Amino acid sequence: MARIRFENVEKKYANGFHAVKDLNLDIQDKEFLVLLGPSGCGKSTTLNMIAGLEEVSDGRLMFDDMLVNYTPPHKRDVAMVFQSYALYPHKTVYDNIAFGLQMRKAPRDEIDRRVRDAAQKLEIAHLLDRRPSQLSGGQRQRVALGRAMVREPSVFLMDEPLSNLDAALRISMRAEIKELHQAMQTTFVYVTHDQAEALTLADRIVVMRDGVVQQVGSPDDIYERPQNTFVASFLGNPPINYIDGTIEVTDSSTARFVRGDLALTLTEATARKLADCNGREVRLGIRAEDVDETAQGGEGSVIRGKVNSVLPVGSDQFLGFDFYGEELFFRVGKDLSHRLGDDVALSVDLNRLHVFDKDSGKTLIW
Amino acid sequence: MSDKTLTQPGGIDYRRRQRLARLAQTLVILAGAIVLTIYVLAPVTWLVSSSFQTEAEIVSVPPHWIPDEPTLQNFEAIFSATEEEEITYETRSGQDPASGGFIPSTAKNLLPAMWNSFLVATLVVILNLLVGVPAAYALAKIRFWGRDASVYFILITRVIPDIALVVPFFLVIKNLGMLDTIGSLVLTYLAVTVPFSVFILVQYFEGLPDELDKAARVDGCSRFQALVRVFLPLSLPSLVAVVLFTFLTSWNEFLLALMFTQTEASQTLPIVLAAFTSDFTISFSFINAAGVLAIVPPVIVAVIFERYIVSGLTAGAVKG
Ligand SMILES: Nc1ncnc2c1ncn2[C@@H]1O[C@H](COP(=O)(O)OP(=O)(O)OP(=O)(O)O)[C@@H](O)[C@H]1O
Ligand SMILES: [Mg+2]
Repeated sequence: MARIRFENVEKKYANGFHAVKDLNLDIQDKEFLVLLGPSGCGKSTTLNMIAGLEEVSDGRLMFDDMLVNYTPPHKRDVAMVFQSYALYPHKTVYDNIAFGLQMRKAPRDEIDRRVRDAAQKLEIAHLLDRRPSQLSGGQRQRVALGRAMVREPSVFLMDEPLSNLDAALRISMRAEIKELHQAMQTTFVYVTHDQAEALTLADRIVVMRDGVVQQVGSPDDIYERPQNTFVASFLGNPPINYIDGTIEVTDSSTARFVRGDLALTLTEATARKLADCNGREVRLGIRAEDVDETAQGGEGSVIRGKVNSVLPVGSDQFLGFDFYGEELFFRVGKDLSHRLGDDVALSVDLNRLHVFDKDSGKTLIW
Repeated sequence: MSDKTLTQPGGIDYRRRQRLARLAQTLVILAGAIVLTIYVLAPVTWLVSSSFQTEAEIVSVPPHWIPDEPTLQNFEAIFSATEEEEITYETRSGQDPASGGFIPSTAKNLLPAMWNSFLVATLVVILNLLVGVPAAYALAKIRFWGRDASVYFILITRVIPDIALVVPFFLVIKNLGMLDTIGSLVLTYLAVTVPFSVFILVQYFEGLPDELDKAARVDGCSRFQALVRVFLPLSLPSLVAVVLFTFLTSWNEFLLALMFTQTEASQTLPIVLAAFTSDFTISFSFINAAGVLAIVPPVIVAVIFERYIVSGLTAGAVKG
C-alpha cells in the first residue's frame, strides 16, 4: 500500500544545480508510473528522492499521509533496481537476494522460501551459488530484480533497469516486468529514456525536461495529445514533422492551415478551438505515420513534395521529403517503390493533426 | 605464416637479430633485478648472519657471510639480561669485548621496550582503523558542505615535516601530563598516521560504486551498516595497506619517541637499540641480535596480512 505524493518539491544539489523544479505529482497505489525524459532531465534525482537517497530541498514528499522528507532509505519500505545492477560482489547470488530480508530480520526459513521462489520465477535457481562476477549481464539483471522482488516492498523503484541489455533481451524483460507488476500489486516507479519502454509499460507517463514536468498522462494522452512540441518530439519514430504556417478561420467551425500552396482543412473540433486564431502563426505537427499515400486524398488534405531519401525499415519505409527546404519524414507502406526526386502526394489524416503555438510551443487544441 | 617469409632475402638475418635483441633485453632486466635484490637484501642478510657470530668473528676481515661457528649466545645474552645487575667499571672491565661476553648497560630494557613498541603499534593500528574507516566513508560517500576542503586539509597536515611538530607536540603532551607514557606515543603517532590512512581509504572507497552504497541502504542498511556489511568486506586490500603502513610507521618511529620517553616505562625499541651504540663500548654481536629481534614482529605482521592484498574484489558489482 503506497500512494506517493510530491507537493511543490524542489531539488537543489550541493553545487547549486537545480535538478528538479516545483514537482507536483500524485502516484496512485498499485500504479505503474514511468518517468520519461532525455538524459539529465532529473529522472534519477526524482527516483532517488522517493528512495530517500537524495534529500528533498524544499516542498513535501508524502507516502500515503506520512511526511517522509526526513525518513532515511532503510526506514522506507522501498526496493530499487539500479541501472548498473549494483550487486554485492562479495556475496553469492543467494546472499545478494537474501540481504534485504536478512537486514530486516526475517526468519531464516521464510528468507529461504522467498529467495528460492523468486529465483524460480526469474529462472536463476541454478545460479544461486555463484558470485556476480560469474554471471552474464542478463543474469545479473535478473538477480537485481530478484533482490528487489523478495522484499515485497510497498514501492518498487527501477532506474533504467534494461538499458544495459541487448535489444532482444530488453523486449522480453519488458514483458516480464509488466507481469511482475501484475503479480506484485504494488506501486512501480520506472525511469527510462526509451519511449517504447515507457509506452508499453506505463499506466501513466511523466515527461520531464530540465527538471520540469512537461506532461503527465496515459501513454495514449502523451502520444496522441502532446501538450507541447517537446513532448510531441520526444515520442514517435521517426519524430513528428513540423510545418510553420498560418491559420485562416472562415467561420466558427471551419479553418485552414496554410503554408505556401499547402492548405489543410482542419476538422470541425479543431476549428472550434482555433476560432479566435485567425491569422495566427502556428506550428503544425504531423506524425510520421499519419499519412497515407494510397488513399485518394480530397482537396485540403494532401501534402506534396519531392522524395529526398528512402529508408526501408523492414515492415515499412521512411520517406525523406523535401518541403520548402525542410526535410520531413513520413512512414509509408512498402507497396509503392520510390526513386529519389520523384514527386509524391500524401494524404494527411486530418483527425490527427497537432497545432502548437509557434513561440511557446504549447498546444492550441488539446 | 607462409614459407615465403622464411626464404625472403634477409629474413633469417632479421629474425636472428630480433632474437638477440630479446635476449639482450632479458639479460639487462635480469642484471638489474640481481643488483636491486643484493642492494635490498645485503644489509638484512648481514644483520641476521652476524647475530649468530661472536664479536671476534664479526670484526674479522674479510667478513664471514656464513658464520664459521653459529652461536646463540647473543640471543641468550638478551634473554638473560632481564635481571637487575649492577654494572660498574669493575664488572665491565672483567669482560672481554672481543669474546662477546660484553653486554650494554641498558640491555635489560630491550624486552620491555619491545613490548612497549608492540603495544603502541597495535593500539595505533586499531585506533587508525576505528577513526580512519568511518572518516573515509563519510568523505568518500556522503556529499556535505566543505567535503573537498576537508580532504585537502587532512592531506596538507602531512606536508608538515615531523620535526616541525616536535615542539608543539611536546608542549601538548607535557601539559596533558603524559610525558614518559605510552599514551603520548599513541596520541602523536595517530596525528601522524591518521591523515595518511584516511587518504588511502578515501581513494579506495571512492573507487567503489556509489550505487553499491545506495543499494545497501535501500536494502535496509543504515549508513553504518552499509559501511560494515558492504564496504569493509570489499576494501580489505586498502585496510591491509593501512594496517601495514601504520604498524611499520609506529614500530620504526624514532624522533617523537626520543622526545617523549625517558624510562623503560615507555621507551620503544628504536630508542633502546640506538642507546646501545652510545655505551662505553659497542657490542656489535649484541646489537645485531637485538636488531634481528626488532624485525621479527613487522615481518610476521607483513606475512599475515600480505595475502589479503588482492585485486578484483569488486568484479561483477556493476554491469560489465
Ligand atoms: N550529486 C550531484 N551534484 C550535482 N548535480 C547533480 C548530481 N547528480 C545529478 N546532478 C545533475 O542533475 C541533473 C539531473 O540528473 P539525473 O541523474 O536526475 O538525470 P537523469 O534524468 O536520470 O539522466 P540519465 O538519463 O542520464 O540518467 C543532471 O544535469 C546532473 O548533472
Ligand atoms: Mg539517471
